[in-house]
Amino acid sequence: MSYVTIENISKAFKGQTVLHDLNLSFKQGEFVTLLGPSGCGKSTLLRILAGLTSPEQGVIKIDGCDVTNVKAKDRQIGMVFQSYALFPNMTVSENIAFGLKMQKIPSETIKQKVARMVALVGLAGKENAYPRELSGGQQQRVALARSIVTEPKVLLLDEPLSALDAQIRKNLQKQLRTIQQELNITTVLVTHDQEEAMAVSDRIYILNEGRIAQSGTPHEIYTKPGSEFVARFIGNYNVLEGSELSIATSEREFSNRLYAIRPEAFSAQYMEDSYTFSGRVNKVMMLGNITRYEFSSNGIVVTAEHLHQSDEDVQEGARKTLYLHKKDVIPLS
Amino acid sequence: MNKNRPFFHYLTIGAVLLYLLVPLLGTLIYSFSTQWHKTILPEGLTFHWYGELFSDSLFLKAMGRSLILSVGATILSLLIMVPAIFSIVVYAPRLEKFIQALIVLTYAMPGVIIAVGLIRAYSNSGMPMVVVTVGAYFVGILPYMYQGTRNSLRNIQAVSLMEAAEILGASRFTAFLKVILPNIMPGVLVSSLLSFSILFGEFVLVNLLIGGSFETVQVYLYKKLNVSGHIASAIVICYFILISILSSIIVKVTRSRKETL
Amino acid sequence: MKKINGMLVASLIPFLFLILLFLFIPLFFMIYGSFQADGGTGFSFKQYQEIFQNEYYRQAFKNSILISLLSSFIATLLAIFATYSITHFSSRIQNRVLIFANLTSNFAGIPLAFAFIVLLGNSGLFTLLFKHFGWETLSSFNVYSWSGLVLIYLYFQLPLAVMLLYPVYQGINKHWKEAASLLGASSTQFWLRIGIPIILPSIAGTFSILFANAMGAYASAYALTGSTYNLVTIRIGALTTGDIFAKPELGSAIAGLLGLTLVVAMLLNEWLTRKVRRDLS
Repeated sequence: MSYVTIENISKAFKGQTVLHDLNLSFKQGEFVTLLGPSGCGKSTLLRILAGLTSPEQGVIKIDGCDVTNVKAKDRQIGMVFQSYALFPNMTVSENIAFGLKMQKIPSETIKQKVARMVALVGLAGKENAYPRELSGGQQQRVALARSIVTEPKVLLLDEPLSALDAQIRKNLQKQLRTIQQELNITTVLVTHDQEEAMAVSDRIYILNEGRIAQSGTPHEIYTKPGSEFVARFIGNYNVLEGSELSIATSEREFSNRLYAIRPEAFSAQYMEDSYTFSGRVNKVMMLGNITRYEFSSNGIVVTAEHLHQSDEDVQEGARKTLYLHKKDVIPLS
Repeated sequence: MNKNRPFFHYLTIGAVLLYLLVPLLGTLIYSFSTQWHKTILPEGLTFHWYGELFSDSLFLKAMGRSLILSVGATILSLLIMVPAIFSIVVYAPRLEKFIQALIVLTYAMPGVIIAVGLIRAYSNSGMPMVVVTVGAYFVGILPYMYQGTRNSLRNIQAVSLMEAAEILGASRFTAFLKVILPNIMPGVLVSSLLSFSILFGEFVLVNLLIGGSFETVQVYLYKKLNVSGHIASAIVICYFILISILSSIIVKVTRSRKETL
Repeated sequence: MKKINGMLVASLIPFLFLILLFLFIPLFFMIYGSFQADGGTGFSFKQYQEIFQNEYYRQAFKNSILISLLSSFIATLLAIFATYSITHFSSRIQNRVLIFANLTSNFAGIPLAFAFIVLLGNSGLFTLLFKHFGWETLSSFNVYSWSGLVLIYLYFQLPLAVMLLYPVYQGINKHWKEAASLLGASSTQFWLRIGIPIILPSIAGTFSILFANAMGAYASAYALTGSTYNLVTIRIGALTTGDIFAKPELGSAIAGLLGLTLVVAMLLNEWLTRKVRRDLS
C-alpha cells in the first residue's frame, strides 16, 4: 500500500513543460531519492509535493488524503532547504521550536521535544547559539531537527548536503540515514549526486527532462541501467555502439544499437564465457585505491578500473589483454 | 603600498576635503563670534547666539513642524512601503521592474516639478497642503526605502525563509512578522534614518507648497538669513550636528550588521 | 488554478494608492496644465511656443544647462582623481573619507548657500581676509554672482561624485592589474587599455546623474538672491507661486521640459550602467 502517490503531475514554466505527466508512489517509511542532472525537474517535483508550487494538473495524495489543494502550512510536511533557511534572529532551540509553536503546543512539551531533538542530531550545548555561530554541518543538522520535530508525515530534503565539504557530507549521509530509520519517516531526497543517492536510498527515481528515466533499488539501477542516459549519468559506464564492440572484440554478435559496460568489469585474468580485448594502455590515473586507465583495442577506446594492487602494475603504453564476462555487456534500450 | 604613496594622492584628497571642510568651519566660527565685520579674526567668542536660538519659541515650533513632516513621512513609508516592497520581492519579482521605473521617475521629478503638479492638483481640493507635502515626501524617499529593504530581503534570502516558515505551519502574515521583520529591521532602520535626514533638510516642497503657513526649520533659517547671520549660522551648525549624529548611527548599525552576517 | 495572494494584494493597494495620488496625478495635472492657455481656458501649445520664443526663458534653460554642465564636469574630473587617490589609502581611512563625503552630501540647499555667504559674502571671512592683504581681484569676488553659484553647485556635486565613483574603482579587480603587469604592461598602459575603458561608462553615468541633480536644484540659488537668478527651477517656482506674476500654465510647461531633460539624463545613466554590468559579468 503506498503512502504517498503522485498521479499524472504536469508543470510548465512560461510555456516550457518541465514535468511530463509523472506518476510516482512511495511506501511508508521508505527513503526515496529523486536523482537527476540540474534542470531535470526534480526540485520542482519536490516543491509541488511540499505545496510551494502548484501543478498544472495531477493529484498528490499523502496518507490517503488528496492534498493537491492544501496549503503548504497545512500539509504536515517537513522540509530541509538547500540553503537551510534557518531563521537568523532565532537561536538553535528557537528555530527547532518554531513549528511546534505554530501548532500551539504547550511550552513544557515544546521544551521536552526540542531537548530530545537537539540530542538526537548531536547539538547538545549549542541550544542558545545563533545560526551564524555554527558551522555548515551544524546548521544543516539544525535544519534537519527543525523539520522533523513536528513529526511530519513526509520529510523532504532539497539537496541538503550540496554546500558541505566531501568529508562532512559523507558523515551526514550516514547520520541522515540512521535518523530516518530510527524515526521511520517517509523521506524524499533530491540530489544530483549519484553516489549520495546510492548510499542512502531504499529506492531511486532517475529524472531526465521532466520524465522518469528509470526507477528501482540502488543495486538494480547500478547493475541494470535501462538507457544510455542512465548508464552515462550514474557512473563511469562505457557506452559503446554495437559496431564498435564488434571491432574491439572481433566478434559479430552485437546486434543491439548501444551497450553499457562497467569499467570495473574488465579483468586481466582469463574467465570462462568472456570477450577478449587486446590492445594498449593509454592514460593511467590513480584514484586512491583504484587505478583507472584508458585502453585502446583495435582503435576503440574503453575505460577500465582495477583495485590498486602492487602485483598488477599498469604502465602507460604497455600491451595488455583484458577479459569481460558476457553478462557484463548490458544492452541499452 | 603604504610606503610609496605619491604626494599626488595627498594633494587630490586634501584639496577635496579642504573644499568640503572650509565652509563648515567658517560657519562654525561665525556662530560663536560676537562681532565679525571688519577684522580678519572675530572680535570675541560667545554662546549667545545658541542661547538666543533655543529660547526663540518660533524656532522650537519650527523644529516641531519639521519633525512632524519628516517623521510622519518616514513612519508612513515604514508602514506602507516596507510591506509592499516585501510582497513584490517575494511574491511578484516581476513588479520590481515597475518599482525601478518609479524610482527613475522620482529622480526625474525633483521637488520643483512635483510641486507644480501638486499645486495644480490639490491646492483647491480641500486636502490640507501639509498632508500633500507628507505624501510628496513619501514618494520622494521611495528610492532609499526600496534600496534598503530589498537589499536586506536579499541578504536574508527572504523567499526561502518564508517557505520554511510556511512549511512549519506559519501563515504568511505570522511568518512576515516573526521571521522576516526582525531580520530586515536593521537595514530598514538605516534606510529610515537616511530618509529622515534627507527630509529634514528639504526646502523646495515646503517652501512652494506650505511655506507661508507652515514654517519649518528650513523656512525659519531662510527668513533668518537676512536678519541675523550669527543666528543663521548657529542653525546651520545645529542642523549639521543633527545629520552627523544620524549618519554615525547609520554607520554603526551598518557596520555591526556586516559583522554579524 | 492561480490563487490570489492576499498578502500581496493587501500590501500593494495602499502603496499604489499613495503613488497614484502623489506621483501620477500631479504628473498628469502638470502635463495637462502645460497644454492649456493662460488661466486654463482650453487646449493650446501656446506655453511651449512662449518658452521657445521668449528670450528670457530660453536664457533660463541656457543658464541652467551651462551651470549644470560646468559643475558636473568639474566635480566629475576632481572626483576621478581624488577617488582614485582614496583607493591608495588603508581601508580605515577610505571609510572615513567616504563617511565624510556622505555627511557633506546632506549639506545642501539653504544651509550650504548660507555657509558660502559667511565665507565670501560682502563681509565674509575670506572677503575680509583678502581686503586685509589688499588682494583686490579676490576681495571683489561676489558670491551672489554666477561664479559664486558655481562654487556652491560644485560643493554639493563633489561628495556625490566621490560616492558614485568609489564603487567603480572597487570594481577594478586587483588581479587584472597583476595579470596585465605579468603580461608586460606598465601602469599607464594598464589604465589606457583596460582601466579607463572599463570605468568610462560609469564616469559618463556619474556625469549624467550629477547633471540631473544640478538641473533640478533650487534651494541654493533661491537662498542667495530669491528669484533674481534666471534658472529654470527658479522660474518655475516664481511662475507657480508668485502672486503677481503667477502663470501656472507656463510654469507647468517649463517643468515639463525640465522633466523631459532629466528623464533623458536618467535613461542615459540606466543605459550606461547596464552596459557596465554586461561588461563586468
